[in-house]
Amino acid sequence: MPEPAFLFGQFVGGLTAAMFLFMIAAGLSLIFGVLRILNFAHGSFYMFGAYLAWQFMRWLGPGTEYFWLAALGAATGVAMIGVAIERLLLCRLYRREELYQLLFTYGFVLILADIAKIVWGTQQLSVSRPPSLSGSFEIFGTTVPHYNLFIILLGPSIALALWLLMHRTGVGRLIRAAVLDREMLGALGANVGGLYTIMFGVGSFLAGLGGALVTPVKSIIPGMDVEVIVEVFIIVVIGGLGSLWGTFLGAFVFGQVLAFGILIMPRFSIFSVFALMAIILIWRPWGLLGRPLSR
Amino acid sequence: MKRRIFLVAASSFAMAVSFGAMAADPIKVGFPMILSGPGALFGEPALKGAQMYVEEVNAKGGVLGRKIQLISRDTKGNADEAVRVVRELILREDVNFIVGTLTSAEGPAVSPIAKENKIVFVAPITKTDQLTAPANLHPYVFRSASTTTIEGRTAAEIVAKWPVTRIATISPDYAYGQDVTKAFVEHLKKIKPSVEIVDQQWPKLGEADYTPFINAQLAKRPEAVFSSLWGGHFVTFAKQAKPLNYFQAINNNFIGAGEAASIESTKSMGADYPVGIWGNSYDVFDWPDGPQSHKDYIARLKKFTNEEHPSSWPITGYIAMQFLTAAIAKAGSIDSDKVSAAMKDISVDTPLGKMTMRAKDHQANHGQFWGKTKRDPKYPFAVIENVTRIDPAPFMD
Repeated sequence: MPEPAFLFGQFVGGLTAAMFLFMIAAGLSLIFGVLRILNFAHGSFYMFGAYLAWQFMRWLGPGTEYFWLAALGAATGVAMIGVAIERLLLCRLYRREELYQLLFTYGFVLILADIAKIVWGTQQLSVSRPPSLSGSFEIFGTTVPHYNLFIILLGPSIALALWLLMHRTGVGRLIRAAVLDREMLGALGANVGGLYTIMFGVGSFLAGLGGALVTPVKSIIPGMDVEVIVEVFIIVVIGGLGSLWGTFLGAFVFGQVLAFGILIMPRFSIFSVFALMAIILIWRPWGLLGRPLSR
Repeated sequence: MKRRIFLVAASSFAMAVSFGAMAADPIKVGFPMILSGPGALFGEPALKGAQMYVEEVNAKGGVLGRKIQLISRDTKGNADEAVRVVRELILREDVNFIVGTLTSAEGPAVSPIAKENKIVFVAPITKTDQLTAPANLHPYVFRSASTTTIEGRTAAEIVAKWPVTRIATISPDYAYGQDVTKAFVEHLKKIKPSVEIVDQQWPKLGEADYTPFINAQLAKRPEAVFSSLWGGHFVTFAKQAKPLNYFQAINNNFIGAGEAASIESTKSMGADYPVGIWGNSYDVFDWPDGPQSHKDYIARLKKFTNEEHPSSWPITGYIAMQFLTAAIAKAGSIDSDKVSAAMKDISVDTPLGKMTMRAKDHQANHGQFWGKTKRDPKYPFAVIENVTRIDPAPFMD
C-alpha cells in the first residue's frame, strides 16, 4: 500500500490538471450548449492564449507581476479573435448542416496553427511563474506549489461565476431560452445573434485564459492545440456536452484517473481514460450529467 | 551554303545547351524532417545545417561538377507521414539520395523504402539501435547520428562515478526512450553492480502532465535519476518537476539524455532551467578545447542563421550531408551501389573532428558533449560547465 502522503500528492496533482482542463472544456461546452457548434478550433484558441501571453510578457518587459496583466491581455485578445471569427464567418453557417460547421472549425485549426508558426516560429517558448506564486508549501507531507493551489481555487470560482451568469442574470435567462428554442426567442424580439457572439466570446476567453495560465507549467509549442482538444473532448464526452457541472465532473474524473491510473497500469494510464470514455459512451451516450439530445 | 552553316551552328548550339544542362543538372537529395509540432524544435535547425553545408559545397562548384539540390519535406513527426513523403520524394521528385528523419519511429520506417528503391539513406538524428541492427541492416542505410547504445552507456559511465546506489529512470515510452534506458541500465549494472534500480517511469511520448509520474518517482526515494525526455517534452517535465522540489530531493543527481543540456532547451526555459543537473548536447557554441574547424563552423553558422548563440542541432544535418557528399566524390558517381560501397569506412573531417562510417554496421562514431549545467552571467540561459566531448569508440559493440 503506498504511503498516504504520496496518495495525497497524486490527488493534488490530478486536481490541478483537472482544473486547467476544466477552464478550457467549460468554454467548449458552453459554446456547444448555446450555439450547438462543436468548435474544433477551441484548442487553437487555447494555443493562441499561450502564445499571446508570451508575447505580452515580451512587450511588458521583465517586470515581476506583469504575468497577470499578460494573462488577462492574452485572454481578452483571444476573446476578440473569437468574436471576429463568429461575427464575420461562423454566423453564416448556422443554417448549414453540422458537417459544414465541423469542417469550417477544423479548417480554422489548420489556419491558426500555420499563423502561429509564421508569427512565433517552431521554437518552444516558455514563461516563468509569477514571483508571488513561485513558492510552495508542505501539506500532509506533500509539496504543493502555490501556483497549483491558485489553479485549484480558480477552477471552482470560474464554475461558480458561470453558473451565476447563467442562472442569476438577465443575459443568462436569455441564453437558457436560446438553448431551448432559438427561433422562438428571436421571434420574441431578442437579439439572438448578439447573444451568440457574447457566448462565443466568453467561451473563447476561457480557452485563452486557460492557455495563458498554463504557460508557467508547460512549454509553448506548436501542436499544443491538437493535444488539448483531444483531452477536452474526452472531458465533455464524459461529463455531458453543454452541461457546466458535467464538464466540471468530467474534468475531475479525467484528472484523477490519469493521476491514479499510473499506479495500477503504469504504462497505460491514458488507456484507462479512453476506456472510461468508451464505457460512458455506451452506458450514457449523453455523458454523466448531460441530457439526451432532443433533436 | 548559308543555310548549312546556320544548321551546323544551330545544332552545335543546341548540343552545347544540352551539355550545359547536363552539367548543371543538380544531384537531388530528399530531406524528410520534422518541420512542425514539438519535434520541429530540433528538426528545423537540423535542416538549417544541411542547407548551410549545401550552400558551402555549391559555392565551391558542387560535387562531380554538379550542384546539390536539397528538397525538404515535413514528416510532422509521424512515421506514416515520413514514409509517405519519402515515397513521394523518390517517385515524383526523382531524388538520388535521402538524408533525414528525426525520431526513432520515423528512421526505421523509412529504411525499408530506401532498400526497396535502392536509394542510399543517411539518418542524421535517429538513435535507436534497431535502425542498423543486423536484422534491419541493408546496403543502403547509414547512420551519421549517435546511437542509443553510445548515449545510454556514456550516461552510465558518468553516473557510476556518483556516490549513489538507488537509481530511477524516466523516459518516453517508445523505441528511443526504451532503447536508451535499457542501454543505460544494463551498462550501469555491469560496471557498478551495487546499484539498485528503484523505479522506472514511462510517460507516453508527448505527455502533457508529468506530475503523477514525478510524485510516484519521488515516493520511491531515488538518489539519482536518468531521463531521456527530449525537446519540448523535457522542458514541460522540468517546469513541473522544479516547483515540486524534485531536483532538490535528488540533490541535482539528474542526468538528461536526449539533449537536455542543448541550447534549444536551456534557452527556451531561461531562468526556469534546473541548473546543476547533467545533460548532453550534439553541439556547443563555446567549446574551448575544440579544434579551429569547430570555431570556424560556429562563426559561419552564426552568420547563416543570424543567431548570436547558434543552435546545437544544425551539426546533425551538416555532418550527414558531409558523409553523403564525401561518398559521392569517392565513388565518382551517383549510382546507389557505388556510393553505398564508397560510404563504408569513409572518414570525414567534420567540425567536431574526424568521424568514420564503420563498414561493419554502417554506423558513424558520433559522440556527444556532456556536462553539468551552470548559470553563466554572460548568457541569459544555462550552459554546460567544463564541457567535454566523450569519445564513443569504447561504447560501440
